[in-house]
Amino acid sequence: MADLNISMTVNGRAVEKSAAAGSRLLDFIRNDLNLTGTKEGCGAGECGTCSVFVDGVLVKSCMVPVAKADGAEIETVEGLAPRRQMTPVQRAFHKTGASQCGYCIPGMVMAASATLRENPQADLEEIKQGLGGNICRCTGYQKIFEAVELARDVINGKVPETALDEDEVGESFIGANVRRLDAPSKVTGALRYAGDMVVPTMLHLQVLRSPHAHALIKSIDTSDAEAMAGVEAVVTAADIPGEDGYGVFVHDQPTLATDKVRYVGEAIAAVAAETEALARDAVKAIKIEYEELPAVFDPHEAMSGGPILHDYAQDNVTYHVPIRKGDVEKGFAEADVIVEQDYDTQPIEHAYLEPEAGLAYEEADGTITIHSPSQNITHHRHAASRILGMPVNKIRMIMSPVGGGFGGKEDMHYQCFLALAALKSGRPVRYVFTREESIIASAKRHGFKIRYKMGLKKNGRITATEMYMVSDGGAYGCSTEGVMRKSAILAAGPYDIPNVKVDTIGVYTNNTPAGAMRAFGALQSEFSTESHLDICAEKLGLDPFEIRRINMMQDGAITHTRQKLGSVSIGQVLDEAEKVSGWESGAPTVRGPVRKDLGGDGNREPCTLVPRHTTTASPEEEVA
Amino acid sequence: MLDCDQYLLPKSLDEAFGFLETHGDAAQIVAGATDLLPWAREGRAGDVHIPVLIDITRIPELNGVALEGNRLRLGAATVFQKFLKDSVLREHAPVMPHVAVWFADDQLRQSATIGGNLVNASPAADGTPGLMALDAELVLHSRTGGERRVNVTDFPTGPSFSVLNNGELIVAVEFDSAAEYGASFEKVGHRRSLVISTVCVATVLKLDEVGQNFEDVRIALAGVGPVPVRLSECEEMLSGKTVTAALIDAAAHLPIDRVQSRTRQDYRREVVVSFVRRGIVEALASIGCDVGPFETQELETANG
Ligand SMILES: Cc1cc2nc3c(=O)[nH]c(=O)nc-3n(C[C@H](O)[C@H](O)[C@H](O)COP(=O)(O)OP(=O)(O)OC[C@H]3O[C@@H](n4cnc5c(N)ncnc54)[C@H](O)[C@@H]3O)c2cc1C
Ligand code: FES
Ligand code: FES
Repeated sequence: MADLNISMTVNGRAVEKSAAAGSRLLDFIRNDLNLTGTKEGCGAGECGTCSVFVDGVLVKSCMVPVAKADGAEIETVEGLAPRRQMTPVQRAFHKTGASQCGYCIPGMVMAASATLRENPQADLEEIKQGLGGNICRCTGYQKIFEAVELARDVINGKVPETALDEDEVGESFIGANVRRLDAPSKVTGALRYAGDMVVPTMLHLQVLRSPHAHALIKSIDTSDAEAMAGVEAVVTAADIPGEDGYGVFVHDQPTLATDKVRYVGEAIAAVAAETEALARDAVKAIKIEYEELPAVFDPHEAMSGGPILHDYAQDNVTYHVPIRKGDVEKGFAEADVIVEQDYDTQPIEHAYLEPEAGLAYEEADGTITIHSPSQNITHHRHAASRILGMPVNKIRMIMSPVGGGFGGKEDMHYQCFLALAALKSGRPVRYVFTREESIIASAKRHGFKIRYKMGLKKNGRITATEMYMVSDGGAYGCSTEGVMRKSAILAAGPYDIPNVKVDTIGVYTNNTPAGAMRAFGALQSEFSTESHLDICAEKLGLDPFEIRRINMMQDGAITHTRQKLGSVSIGQVLDEAEKVSGWESGAPTVRGPVRKDLGGDGNREPCTLVPRHTTTASPEEEVA
Repeated sequence: MLDCDQYLLPKSLDEAFGFLETHGDAAQIVAGATDLLPWAREGRAGDVHIPVLIDITRIPELNGVALEGNRLRLGAATVFQKFLKDSVLREHAPVMPHVAVWFADDQLRQSATIGGNLVNASPAADGTPGLMALDAELVLHSRTGGERRVNVTDFPTGPSFSVLNNGELIVAVEFDSAAEYGASFEKVGHRRSLVISTVCVATVLKLDEVGQNFEDVRIALAGVGPVPVRLSECEEMLSGKTVTAALIDAAAHLPIDRVQSRTRQDYRREVVVSFVRRGIVEALASIGCDVGPFETQELETANG
């Protein structure tokens, strides 16, 4: 790749540097200018973490070849305000708590600034439009919109600048608006996530991943890759000094695949080289011979004689939680109605805006230091000690700022081979996933298939609940065991049911592994339980609130796993929900075609796609 | 990842053709790069090495908007955001602001060009049906073949394919002013911003002097087959007839069989009927003509 000479003004300062001809403005800003407030959340124009001003126009810098910006005036998040100061927009983000993990925030601040520069009077609709190209996975956007409206009002003098100051905290912090300590570093782009960290002599890591869902590895030949100039280390399973295997519960996942791959995207070899491009080329030079095996993608098939993934689990069952309370057959016999229904939930990607990243280096005393947005550093540290064959006091795990995790960063998917590459090369090594890699390689939310059977008396009282939940755990255990437990424990909901039979079964398949994600298995079972109660309410002609009240647990209840609950608040929750939603009471079947409780106070408008362009507004009035 | 040895920014058509001649097959045209860059990623083309990229966005002929008499000419490197900002375009190409507002987001619209949208030839492209409803003519130019003109309807030949020859550029897009026309653009996708169309419909229409009869109706549909299409059967049924809800409803049911896409056929069929109907109604509304109620139920929450 040949170089271009780029001269531009960046945040008011002249810049003259050479850049690779095909590189993007984003690469130039981050790598050549070391302005890492501008992030790369996707590299595909979708997320807006890379937004910068080019000659006053906001663009996504991952979609701009750097050559286009030659001669331009660039403004990044670092240049919005003088150092150690913040613009009203940044201060407003700080004030309203609009930055959570912070990874989307520089881009959001840029988009908010662009919107208010274009129209300082922008109303909420215009603000939403202006921020339409920027994704946030943490805040639900509400606080961000509040921040932009606050900034607008301050800029227009509608509210005094003191509105941006911290609120006073009275007697208690509860109910007070307390600003986050780390918000200024996030709204200014100063905070460095693992992928933003740079240390001298640092190498870049890239990974060879399996194209097959299930295959034997017959041979791995890394000689060509190793012979390439600039390649400093190639790591495979053969380099693992200790006892391999990681996982939050069972240690069934190899750091790098040994004799077999079990899902598309499984890591097999890693290359550390002088540049990322070189490391990518070296990965392509590694030769692997595979023997493809039949694969299984459906958990029911996997349980009934499908191809076996792991020798120790001949039935492909990762973990089974059976819970029995009373006698469900007796309960069904007593019931007036039996309601049966199947529920399916899909695997879900966490889509944290910060793709996985890490930096590892060996200290002078032989300690290996690993920075990564790990949600589980102590566990990772002990596992790494075993895998790397090093005493635990020689392993230093540093949790870098987590740009969103939602459970997805609990697994130690890359930290160990990153450490190995650093140990083998004797150089610091950094690894940053692409968005695509993050999606194919790391664990997802479990998809469940739930068979539900419930017996009820005509008055709505539940006599028995039976739930048979088969869950797709993918190729490795990750958090499946815990997810199965949590799902089983919370399965039947906060209801007092005399006879309960619950089975949650986590199953190995050749799908992407499933792991932790917000609510950890409860979401799936609660989705079925609450949907089921609505269906039962309809069948019995009961108000959905009523059927829940009839069955809800009371203070001191004993759950189906024999846990005694001190206080139970579902009654209050139901009362409050009924009140604030303006609930139209009655059985679902008695409602007419028009619901009277929609669109009222406290109700959100339903989602619709409305025309967004008005032909009457003049260009000046309108901000698209 | 995209990688190149040279990134050239010709300042004239002549210079661009010179580069194309010199580098031949080693060269590829780039405009906004919003299709090219995402294409060169894992899961699609992967790592791509293109020896020479020729960026055509600084060529004067490919930029600018000119109204000569009743004929509008705009450069192929016109970015979509311009349809919202440029008063000449807003007046004479009334469907395009509606297209633009649904197109990607404010930031990408600053880069994405109409030329790129046409040449990329996605079955779900938004710009192409808009230009079809304007009955646009594309001005193509190559050093060997000189200038030729192609109606936009004949331009795409299949997903990613068009009649464009090697070494040929789209220089400009021309069409008659539609200043007096009503226009609308309906789009449904999976979410509101940054969404590729599942189905989209562009409508441009005009009533006669009395204001009661359809005089000229042009409807283009994309997302349901390999290339966007004009709905000539609907257009013919409506032209010259009096505007009534019943007529519009009947016309909207004609294109059902146009749905050829590989996925979600039933859904797309249902959407097409209500979209064509709504497109006509909205376009009429934009010139102050209220059709009144329909007997069949309107599909309101298109994302359902
Ligand atoms: C996040 C995101 C959202 C998007 N949303 C939408 C959307 O809502 N609707 C939609 O329709 N599209 C959308 N797109 C796709 C894309 O932005 C458009 O197709 C855009 O118009 C492409 O134009 P460009 O100038 O960026 O093309 P480029 O990527 O520069 O070029 C695309 C192709 O056209 C060729 N080319 C470009 N100009 C010419 C010319 N003048 N003569 C000859 N060949 C030429 C190039 O060689 C290349 O093969 C989206 C893309 C992204 C990344
Ligand atoms: S939009 Fe550029 S990194 Fe996501
Ligand atoms: S704060 Fe927006 S993605 Fe985390």
